Amino acid sequence: MALLSLKDISVAYGKNVVLKNLNLDVEKGELVSLLGPSGCGKTTTLRLIGGFVEAKNGRFVFNGKDYTKIPVHKRNFGFVFQNYALFPHLTVFDNVAFGLKQRNIPKNEIKKRVMEILETVGLKDYADRSPRELSGGQKQRVALARALVIQPDLLLLDEPLSNLDAKLRVKMRLEIRKIQQEYNITAIYVTHDQEECFSISDRVAVMNNGVIEQLDTPQKIYNLPRTEFVANFVGFENFIELELEAKKIDGGFYKLKNSQRFKVTHFNGREDERYVKGAIRPEEIDILNEGGEKETNTLKGIIGISTFLGKHYQYVVETEVGRLLVNGSAHKRYVKGERVTLYFPEDKIVLV
Amino acid sequence: MKKNVYVYLLLLPGLIILLLFLAVPLFSTVFRTFQGDEGLTLTKYIAFFKDSYDRGVYIRTLKLALLTTLIAVILGFPTSYYISRVSRRVRGLYIIFAVFPLLTSPVVRSFSWMVILGKNGIINSTLLKLNLIEEPLRLLYNEFSIVIGLVYLFLPLMIMSLVGVMENIDEDLIEAAESLGATRREVFARVIFPLSIPGLIVGSVLVFTGSITAYTTPQLLGGSNTTVLATLIYQNAMSLFDWDSASVVATIMILTTVFVTFLINKLSSRLNA
Ligand SMILES: Nc1ncnc2c1ncn2[C@@H]1O[C@H](COP(=O)(O)OP(=O)(O)OP(=O)(O)O)[C@@H](O)[C@H]1O
Ligand SMILES: [Mg+2]
Repeated sequence: MALLSLKDISVAYGKNVVLKNLNLDVEKGELVSLLGPSGCGKTTTLRLIGGFVEAKNGRFVFNGKDYTKIPVHKRNFGFVFQNYALFPHLTVFDNVAFGLKQRNIPKNEIKKRVMEILETVGLKDYADRSPRELSGGQKQRVALARALVIQPDLLLLDEPLSNLDAKLRVKMRLEIRKIQQEYNITAIYVTHDQEECFSISDRVAVMNNGVIEQLDTPQKIYNLPRTEFVANFVGFENFIELELEAKKIDGGFYKLKNSQRFKVTHFNGREDERYVKGAIRPEEIDILNEGGEKETNTLKGIIGISTFLGKHYQYVVETEVGRLLVNGSAHKRYVKGERVTLYFPEDKIVLV
Repeated sequence: MKKNVYVYLLLLPGLIILLLFLAVPLFSTVFRTFQGDEGLTLTKYIAFFKDSYDRGVYIRTLKLALLTTLIAVILGFPTSYYISRVSRRVRGLYIIFAVFPLLTSPVVRSFSWMVILGKNGIINSTLLKLNLIEEPLRLLYNEFSIVIGLVYLFLPLMIMSLVGVMENIDEDLIEAAESLGATRREVFARVIFPLSIPGLIVGSVLVFTGSITAYTTPQLLGGSNTTVLATLIYQNAMSLFDWDSASVVATIMILTTVFVTFLINKLSSRLNA
């Protein structure tokens, strides 16, 4: 049984329904990320689990117990806020000790545990400082230590790294992951940075408009998205309408709107549907030289606008089934109006 | 560079007015109280504190002002906390309600309390009707009624100061404390209260200064044996034409205010540590 499960949770602010019958299961020791565009309900989901917002309906079960109505202070969940939320009137030590004092733990025990966790996050020498005297990264680590020291049953992090610069973000996310695994803590991590999310998570829940569209490992989300939204979100920028003609053991055969034929070898659960879309990334489409035509999986097109992206050129190509984005080698630049043939490798097309 | 000098000329009119109408009279008032037959002396002050009547007035005024401040703190804290946590629009409305007493003159405000507390006032007539008392209570013209009047008068200042600080306390801090296991009450004691101390200082100083210098309220709601410093100054100056004594009382009032302000500051930073 899952450690945490949200069952048909709905949340609304006034008339504005933000979460719609959301379901989520998280196993013990797992780090699950909530990923999605701004306003999709990530923070709301996290705050619901933390107990800061109430569900309109649905249940939240944790460790076999109904937590739906348990008040925040009885949940024993560590919460790391986007803007750290350190107590400005307390030193680093007292910030970290806050939760322990709340639990009536003896003074010397508190001291031992606080110093231990400060050592873990590399801030042993900063115990007597005020939060004002810390850099962003240090504040973030204090916030993390403060949430960890109470040995929480669940760690909730809301975009904990979004106020840090790019380099520090990479360093801190590795640290968070290391500590989370070391202490074997179950964690839910909100972010809208894909790379951060993929590098840190056991599983990723991609959210859209108050529902979870797909909950999978980072690899699956990246390579085999199951819905158009998820595909688009992870960089599949081309969608081609397909109609199933025949399904065989080694793949499905599809007809395009212009009667061109495509073979698709990836099966991800959508292969029995008659009308689907084939999603493909710009960098997976090949631009063929004259005479390199193949029988299937090609489309003719005319080069439109091109942009230099450093590693390659990106072209807008007009085809009979619509406008596509295609990346080509940086060594050769096709000019506007040039006629080309595009090749869509059968194992690079994902059905959505 | 030279231009900058002229900028200071802009300060001149204000400075002259302040000097002429504030600093000079204040200084001369204070100065003459230390003047004796042969140079500077404290004899007038010693005389003030030796006189049992004057001393009584001084202690009463101090007591009333401190009591008023204390009650304003106790009433103001929860009210301000509540106001600071409601939505911005409702907050504006509450603040208008809170400062409403400030919008009428102290005379009117004191009279309204006379109506409530008087012999045939609302409280007495209600209690009589309910047969809880046999004859009207003496609620008016004593220290009790003065404190009530002063609290009513100055509570808005306390609330404004506290709300000003409390509304800047980030909601995240409260939630962080709760997530660490603090109940609502513990959040108040361990986060809200310590962070509100600057507002508490400002509010207390305003209420205390206002109460110790108040004239109208003690005059209207107090009786013949509840004279306060401000009344004493008035009596000395206007009835007895004893300007020297009036100046002595005024100086004592100023020094006390400065001293207590200093104490409140010290005490508050002690609380904070
Ligand atoms: N306190 C609130 N009152 C009313 N509406 C709110 C409140 N908080 C959030 N919302 C709305 O709920 C929706 C979801 O908000 P939420 O904060 O969960 O998004 P998010 O996924 O965390 O976005 P972001 O990536 O920008 O942080 C948004 O449309 C937002 O406008
Ligand atoms: Mg958010």
